[in-house]
Amino acid sequence: MNSIGEQCKKFKDDYDACFNAWFSDKFLKGETNNSLCEPLFKVYQECVKKVMKEQNIELQEIEKDLLGTNSERKPPSKKS
Amino acid sequence: MKIWTSEHTFNHPWETVATAAWRKYPNPHNPAVIGTDVLDRKVVDGVLHTHRLVSTKWGFPRWAQALIGSAKICYASEKSEVNPSVKKMILKTVNLTFCRYVAVDETLCYTPHPTDPSKTLLKQEAVVTVQGVPLNNYMEDLLTNKISLNAGKGRQAMEWVICKLNAEVKDFTKSTDEILNHTKKSIDDITSSAKKSMDDISQKAMKSLDDMQPLRQKF
Repeated sequence: MNSIGEQCKKFKDDYDACFNAWFSDKFLKGETNNSLCEPLFKVYQECVKKVMKEQNIELQEIEKDLLGTNSERKPPSKKS
Repeated sequence: MKIWTSEHTFNHPWETVATAAWRKYPNPHNPAVIGTDVLDRKVVDGVLHTHRLVSTKWGFPRWAQALIGSAKICYASEKSEVNPSVKKMILKTVNLTFCRYVAVDETLCYTPHPTDPSKTLLKQEAVVTVQGVPLNNYMEDLLTNKISLNAGKGRQAMEWVICKLNAEVKDFTKSTDEILNHTKKSIDDITSSAKKSMDDISQKAMKSLDDMQPLRQKF
């Protein structure tokens, strides 16, 4: 499976292999400690975040809470 | 806005389906998905939370591309939760690329089948909203049809992965034996070569001692 960055592919493959093994052999059997693949995840993360920045892929737009904050659009106040 | 829902039963236990769901791509049944990247992943109170960025190539008809833009690669944000204690896996996907006009919110939920726990029930829902472009109602129909078609492909894709997983498990048992045998053999090799070199060393040491004897006699 591809990554958004060609240079991250190797890190992704290593991490995915670790995660898949952890998921079926540990997590589904009740072990919730996920530190096993953490070092591989960190390396992969740094690579992906860098590429996302370069390609201007923004996630904040959908992550942001608007309703109930000051940025929520209010109906225009009626002119009296 | 169009809402589309569907249910499907997999003849496999929940654990198998949940494992396969992570490994769904790359998949010949769904070549539109070209990449997935994990952005965040943590376990909170025994529940695995994952945020992924999914890259897809959607082939829209040319006239539709003229209306919504011909984004070659679309990105979607997928958030999921896996709760192994109640056996529930839920994935929610929101598209990021044509946020201006088109919103596709999709939810997939995998649980054991209520009447047969050896099977897994998939509930799928998609909400399609197209705003601010001409023919938006027609566009919504078009997208909803596309999702319906893709859902069928998605199920085939899952069956394909499960089949591959089962084959891997068989392979794995075989290769574990191979690895163990191989390891045992290499340990034997190491032991014998270590023994051999120890013998060599002691022989050489003896020999040099012998060599030194005549030297000592000289002085």
